[in-house]
Amino acid sequence: MFACLSTSFPALLSRRAFVCRTCLRHIRRQQLSANSSIIHLQSRLLQTSTPAEDAVSFRKQLKDEAKMKRLERGSNPSKKKSKGRDPRLEKWELTVGIEIHAELNTARKLFSSAATSSSEAPNTHVALFDVAFPGSQPHFQRETLIPALRAAIALHCEIQSRSTFDRKHYFYQDQPAGYQITQYYEPFAKDGRITLYDHDGIAPEDGKSITIGIKQIQLEQDTAKTIQQPPSTHLLDFNRVSHPLIEIITLPHIHHPSTAAACVRKIQAILKTVNAVTAGMEMGGLRADVNVSVRERYRNVEAGHGNSYYGVTGLGQRTEIKNLSSFKAVEDAIIAERDRQIDVLEAGGVIEGETRGWTLGSTETKRLRGKEGEIDYRYMPDPDLGPVIIGQDVIRYLRESLPLLPERIEDMLVNSPEYGLTLKDSKTLAALDDGDRLDYYLDVVRILRKECKDDSKSLERVGRMAGNWVLHELGGHFSTAEQEWSESTVSSIQLASIILHLLRRQVTGRTAKILLSTIFHGDNRSVEQIIADENMTLRPMSRDEYLAFAKELLEENPDMVNAIQQKRQHGKIMYLVGQMVRRGDEGRVEAGTAELVLRELLEIPSET
Amino acid sequence: MSLLREAQKCIANQAARKNLNAFINLAKKPALLRQAEDAKISSGRGALTGKLIAVKDNICTSDLPTTAASGILKSFTSPYDATVVQKVREVGGIVAGKTNLDEFGMGSHSTHSFFGAVKHVTDDGITALSAGGSSGGSAVAVATEQCWAALGTDTGGSVRLPAAYTGVVGFKPSYGLLSRWGVIAYANSLDTVGILARDTQSARKLFTALNAHDPQDPTSLRPSTRARLSSVLVRTPRKHPLRIGIPIEYNITELHPTVHATWIATLRLLAQHGHTLKPVYLPTTQHALSAYYILAPAEASSNLAKYDGVRYGSRVPGPDGSPSTNSVLFAATRGAGFGPEVKRRILLGTYTLSAEAIDNYFIQAQKVRRLVQADFDNTFRLPNVLLDPILDKATPTESDNDGGENRVDVLVCPTAPTLPPTLASLQLQSPVDAYMNDVFTVPASLAGLPAVSVPVWMKDQASGGAGSVGTVGIQVIAQFGDDELVLDVARMIEEAGRQIL
Repeated sequence: MFACLSTSFPALLSRRAFVCRTCLRHIRRQQLSANSSIIHLQSRLLQTSTPAEDAVSFRKQLKDEAKMKRLERGSNPSKKKSKGRDPRLEKWELTVGIEIHAELNTARKLFSSAATSSSEAPNTHVALFDVAFPGSQPHFQRETLIPALRAAIALHCEIQSRSTFDRKHYFYQDQPAGYQITQYYEPFAKDGRITLYDHDGIAPEDGKSITIGIKQIQLEQDTAKTIQQPPSTHLLDFNRVSHPLIEIITLPHIHHPSTAAACVRKIQAILKTVNAVTAGMEMGGLRADVNVSVRERYRNVEAGHGNSYYGVTGLGQRTEIKNLSSFKAVEDAIIAERDRQIDVLEAGGVIEGETRGWTLGSTETKRLRGKEGEIDYRYMPDPDLGPVIIGQDVIRYLRESLPLLPERIEDMLVNSPEYGLTLKDSKTLAALDDGDRLDYYLDVVRILRKECKDDSKSLERVGRMAGNWVLHELGGHFSTAEQEWSESTVSSIQLASIILHLLRRQVTGRTAKILLSTIFHGDNRSVEQIIADENMTLRPMSRDEYLAFAKELLEENPDMVNAIQQKRQHGKIMYLVGQMVRRGDEGRVEAGTAELVLRELLEIPSET
Repeated sequence: MSLLREAQKCIANQAARKNLNAFINLAKKPALLRQAEDAKISSGRGALTGKLIAVKDNICTSDLPTTAASGILKSFTSPYDATVVQKVREVGGIVAGKTNLDEFGMGSHSTHSFFGAVKHVTDDGITALSAGGSSGGSAVAVATEQCWAALGTDTGGSVRLPAAYTGVVGFKPSYGLLSRWGVIAYANSLDTVGILARDTQSARKLFTALNAHDPQDPTSLRPSTRARLSSVLVRTPRKHPLRIGIPIEYNITELHPTVHATWIATLRLLAQHGHTLKPVYLPTTQHALSAYYILAPAEASSNLAKYDGVRYGSRVPGPDGSPSTNSVLFAATRGAGFGPEVKRRILLGTYTLSAEAIDNYFIQAQKVRRLVQADFDNTFRLPNVLLDPILDKATPTESDNDGGENRVDVLVCPTAPTLPPTLASLQLQSPVDAYMNDVFTVPASLAGLPAVSVPVWMKDQASGGAGSVGTVGIQVIAQFGDDELVLDVARMIEEAGRQIL
């Protein structure tokens, strides 16, 4: 947990402890579970603006995507590959801007004290205003600003000291007031940016990194959930209505479908890291709309021609694809729409500004409505709601207490001598279990460093050793047992204790693994107790004992000795080391010493 | 008269004056009497103990339906009491019933009601007159003693105009003093709960009982602002003689001679009492009415979008809007549920907020609204506490040169340009003619200022003609937060008015 993270960073420690994410989560659960025992995050789909497609369960969506992939491979194996080299893309340049709607992690709704909920009995968390009862008025819940501000700060936005709420009007049964309260004229955050690197999965054409501008972030209300009962019944659950959302609007700075997907993925990771959102795309906590246009490269657009958006000029006519609910959908929808637009333009046609939809598994976008069908939302400042004034002190506090962002974490894990992990391991750690694994790892390192603070040799090794044990040894147990990660199966204190015994040469590596396995499978005794009970303490053999043991082994394996000494197959030394460890008394033979003795007898110097 | 006797008299009047259609729903008679009996025993407990208070039917009550005089809410009962209703009950007041109004408060004659027009008859009992709107039911109920006092709402004059037409006191306090929680919104930025009573002292009593910050209403004036207001009022003592402003722009050609004469007579009386009269100029006034009829419908089109028949209210049977029949969602329900004037204003507001019109209409009207407020701020001696002190200084004012010599404490002008028209004559009017009645009341609404209409006996009874009820409504307007002064001056006029008679 990040509360603990701070303790491993003296600079931050001096300021304050973070709010512990896990604790927050527990608090939240407690609050919400007043009415029901457990919260299960279920597949929830955001309906961000106007109604479009029916809800598709995430599981089904994954299946569909997998199926499409298989079909694609089967029927047209070359299609995917050839895309990158499509000669038409030499002529036409794609431009994409993204709007992301994310459900904020808040205890209350945006304008009432009703609790937010995701899986309570329908219509049990609804205040009068949420269902637009006559005479009811909004009560802005200031606390909802906190996750919104964290998101805006993490995306390097300029927080506006004054922002206002506006009404966006349209009729739909999931919108009780007949309008959505949003921030149209004066959003609370503007002019941010996000930088994507090659390892984030951007298109190779974008090189090592690309920075995408963020036009603004606004606060707004979610809608009710419609449950379809064919043929003509719509059941409405108002629990979700007025759940706080943020809408993040990027500038049209994206020119490749995979970069667009990487952008959404990274924004999601950032939102999760700063604890701004309840759930990711896979749970319906995030949705994206994309604006897609193409223009001819190498053709100078005369001044005043072409379309422009917030300072980006010379753009082609754009279309908007609404309600994309997975990274793959973002990428595939953009590819399909780009290709469609190029087809139209090459055939001498004109792109119309329209709203289009994308169904999972399809190969083309579908027209939903044209310009003539556009809704005039008639944005009007909400007369009941005064401006939101955000003080510099709040911004400063949140900025200082913001958890480290994924790329900063990766950088720290790789480059800080405290950790010294490989990039691969650090990315894996940061990505696993919503950051819980990373928290666990940091805990283990913190304990080890405290124990070893006077032992500089050990200090150098703990970061990498802990990484290996957390990811591979302990991780291996979880995957073998097909269990979900839990920090309590083997507590960070227990794992640190095992590693410490190993570091201090109180047990052998093999014993350490047995200890981990024992505890993983439910042994409640302390590490010390198990070692004592099972007589596992390393009782070092004397040099003579090692020599005698090694000689015996070499005599038994003349072929091996020959291979090592004559054919210089030095790798085989490790086989012999293994034999010594295995055949020796439990917990007595240390691999390192065994190797040294074997090398001495074989007259092969150490390779370091 | 004992509280019980008073209540019984009101109840008897309610039965006798049923034909006036002042109430949409009356409280049950036995319940009213029981409450009045209880009040006798516990008398003296609350400021309004045993008093029958009628409540305009766009203010929510949990024990009686709240219809807003609309077909779409014809059988709607709110699950909660509005804060002002709760406060009435807390101090011992008895809710007498729910009064008739123009649907959702949209109208100037209380004729646009799903439950039929409110009637107001001349003293001879023959001619049916306009009761004024939209709080016409509340005004008539007070005028005909069917209750002790009544709650109304005033968006652009909806308390003051009916008060003027029916000869009672109608008080619209400063915006934000009385809670709007539970008041069905017509145009939130203008809607104000108002009071109708037979005299200024009763109006003040009811106002005082209701005047408190309400955290449920986000536009309720906060305790900090109320405190600032009090300190400004203390620092600006208004000693006699008062400076009374006469807004020159209100002397329009359409002004009825009797209204004009009564206005002049009132001013003369105030001068006789030693007050100073000063002509003042409010140049933006002529644009105020147009601005109001852009802004109020714009907000109304938004506020009334919630009535779709899905969660409450009336709904037409069968499917309402589906792609297969190419019909618009909720069109049938809203088409059937709203009356023509409401539909007219929704359409008007929808247009002025549309992408093509918003700059020319809504935005311009908001600018006019600011100018109207600036006009008033340049007129009154009391500063506007809502303005940032720095901004206040930045505004060029006459006071910089003359030390506020030209500034006034209150404005005194007619409430409406004419006497109440007959209901029959309204048939011949266009909707815009009706809007004209609000020309003197709308500026104070746009600026959120306190204003009261007080009945003054006509100067020239003979010219009153068929539309005569014997009095003319004279309006007193003051700076934001100067509500007590407005009531003080109204009281002076009330007393002086007896002398005119």
